[in-house]
Amino acid sequence: MKGNETMLDFRTSKFVLRISRDSYQLLKRHLQEKQNNQIWNIVQEHLYIDIFDGMPRSKQQIDAMVGSLAGEAKREANKAKVFFGLLKEPEIEVPLDDEDEEGENEEGKPKKKKPKKDSLGSKSKKQDPNAPPQNRIPLPELKDSDKLDKIMNMKETTKRVRLGPDCLPSICFYTFLNAYQGLTAVDVTDDSSLIAGGFADSTVRVWSVTPKKLRSVKQASDLSLIDKESDDVLERIMDEKTASELKILYGHSGPVYGASFSPDRNYLLSSSEDGTVRLWSLQTFTCLVGYKGHNYPVWDTQFSPYGYYFVSGGHDRVARLWATDHYQPLRIFAGHLADVNCTRFHPNSNYVATGSADRTVRLWDVLNGNCVRIFTGHKGPIHSLTFSPNGRFLATGATDGRVLLWDIGHGLMVGELKGHTDTVCSLRFSRDGEILASGSMDNTVRLWDAIKAFEDLETDDFTTATGHVNLPENSQELLLGTYMTKSTPVVHLHFTRRNLVLAAGAYSPQ
Amino acid sequence: MEPGKMALPKNAPRDALVMAQILKDMGITEYEPRVINQMLEFAFRYVTTILDDAKIYSSHAKKPNVDADDVRLAIQCRADQSFTSPPPRDFLLDIARQKNQTPLPLIKPYAGPRLPPDRYCLTAPNYRLKSLIKKGPNQGRLVPRLSVGAVSSRPTTPTIATPQTVSVPNKVATPVSVTSQRFTVQIPPSQSTPVKPVPATTAVQNVLINPSMIGPKNILITTNMVSSQNTANESNPLKRKHEDDDDNDIM
Repeated sequence: MKGNETMLDFRTSKFVLRISRDSYQLLKRHLQEKQNNQIWNIVQEHLYIDIFDGMPRSKQQIDAMVGSLAGEAKREANKAKVFFGLLKEPEIEVPLDDEDEEGENEEGKPKKKKPKKDSLGSKSKKQDPNAPPQNRIPLPELKDSDKLDKIMNMKETTKRVRLGPDCLPSICFYTFLNAYQGLTAVDVTDDSSLIAGGFADSTVRVWSVTPKKLRSVKQASDLSLIDKESDDVLERIMDEKTASELKILYGHSGPVYGASFSPDRNYLLSSSEDGTVRLWSLQTFTCLVGYKGHNYPVWDTQFSPYGYYFVSGGHDRVARLWATDHYQPLRIFAGHLADVNCTRFHPNSNYVATGSADRTVRLWDVLNGNCVRIFTGHKGPIHSLTFSPNGRFLATGATDGRVLLWDIGHGLMVGELKGHTDTVCSLRFSRDGEILASGSMDNTVRLWDAIKAFEDLETDDFTTATGHVNLPENSQELLLGTYMTKSTPVVHLHFTRRNLVLAAGAYSPQ
Repeated sequence: MEPGKMALPKNAPRDALVMAQILKDMGITEYEPRVINQMLEFAFRYVTTILDDAKIYSSHAKKPNVDADDVRLAIQCRADQSFTSPPPRDFLLDIARQKNQTPLPLIKPYAGPRLPPDRYCLTAPNYRLKSLIKKGPNQGRLVPRLSVGAVSSRPTTPTIATPQTVSVPNKVATPVSVTSQRFTVQIPPSQSTPVKPVPATTAVQNVLINPSMIGPKNILITTNMVSSQNTANESNPLKRKHEDDDDNDIM
């Protein structure tokens, strides 16, 4: 027992309890009357009583917030200012609705049609007070290919379906057959063109979802022969002989538990039980780098929304922030008491959320590695996290089957969605944040009304000071639909740019 | 697989019944049937590893049998390797504090694929092509000699072997290697007689040379070893030891 680290953690750290001042007075008086010094000693030695002024909490509120292995969060743990706003989109000139036109217009080039400016960028000229400064953390600059991607993105956005309670999305389910319970990770690119699966046999397989096949770049000897000045040079560097729908990537020496595509679709990350995170090139379909730092299984990894940075979390109870061009991590987020199961970037790439087996969710600042939020309330290890597209809210799912909604700015739980009967292993908000989709091991996908869940929030200074909010029992009203699969746990959810839901799982026959 | 199903048939192997009982004693009530198989595999693997190690220790100590001391030593030595736990929390907090103090590095613009320095990547070739030209026949008792030479990255020209030369005899072009100190073990020349390869003693072909292994020490050791039996050779002139091509062992 001496060497067991978890035991040491429990014995040295104090269990945090939040209690109102009135209740605390009552408790103290009661214990002193009974003259039961034993309990009082235990209380003093092992408990940290965080007293708040205000109304005592109801049983329902207390039940909602307890569950973590270290007690609840102290009030000052959730006091730091968090910049939850989104970064401003760079202004890109978009050519008018001509489908054939591609590429930007140069500023100085005279055009017959007046180019339409990127409406997203110029909407708010002043700085959003909740958004981080643009250069708070260094981010890679936009390359031409990124700008082209953004233009495609905007074009798709105009065709996006607006979802709501009366307009539910269609769900397209990708079932992995013959995986024999070996499917351990799935990721889909942002433009929904590639799916990657990580398997227990330590392979990573990449499929093309569109009719366009996967090609690898030609060998160096052939590349020297092509005409570099031609317009379609990006097509010419691809080797037609290697076209196939499936590419298998070998390299890991243990089951692959996490997968993540880079936003520019050039790289794929995979994290495995062998303790490494591997970076694969999607142009040559070979492994480029193995990042060694965790010496224990790495349960999850994710690229930052802007590329270049990625985060990984594993059995060693820390999450690490890496950059693709550094062989050692840039930041270490230590504080959890048990394995870090799930790691996600905030849409503005300045914060990382980690969900852990100690039943807490922590929000970390990338700039200095500090833990800025601790969210308790789940009654089991957390397996899924997702940020809302506007950056203000976080949804978390755990083995207790509940989906909890958190307001990041105020640090409060603002919603509880009950309905699943087994671990919620995947969560995703729709592209504009109207619907929250949750996939679970109970073989269902449920759609929840996110707009209604977040409206009428009574978050003001008073509730922030007390640290809790009255949670309405409205799970039934918020549930928009339950969709059952035959016997396929829903491992991954993805909203395409037009708000179609893609779900993925491996068929496991009973 | 349905969770919670734990009824084993009565004619299940005794080991499986024992394992099921162990799980029950440890308080685990719900598990898939595959868990028993996995636990049995683990137990088997652990026990055989320990016993193999114990056998090695007892033979090292020149004991006729494996006894309890050997097993104890084997367990002790393996425990540090296999059953490690993650570092303690205060240690993690400490290194986190250190790591998080340095500001995030600035990103160089226009850098192409952003990868770590080459020695930390897996992008280098990990093979060398074997030259197809066979050496001329050699025979006789061959004594391996060690000679050291500094080699640059140009290919060394072959020479008919005198013991002092660096290159491998009769090779047209030795493959270009990393710039490194190269030790070649040189075999003195032998007369030309027909050579018959003897599998047991012929040298090893080019093996995979992993540049990352070479990296820090920068020593590439190529050996041209032919172990030959003196008597066997002299007794049967036809049984020639075939001195094969460049056999490169990394040491």
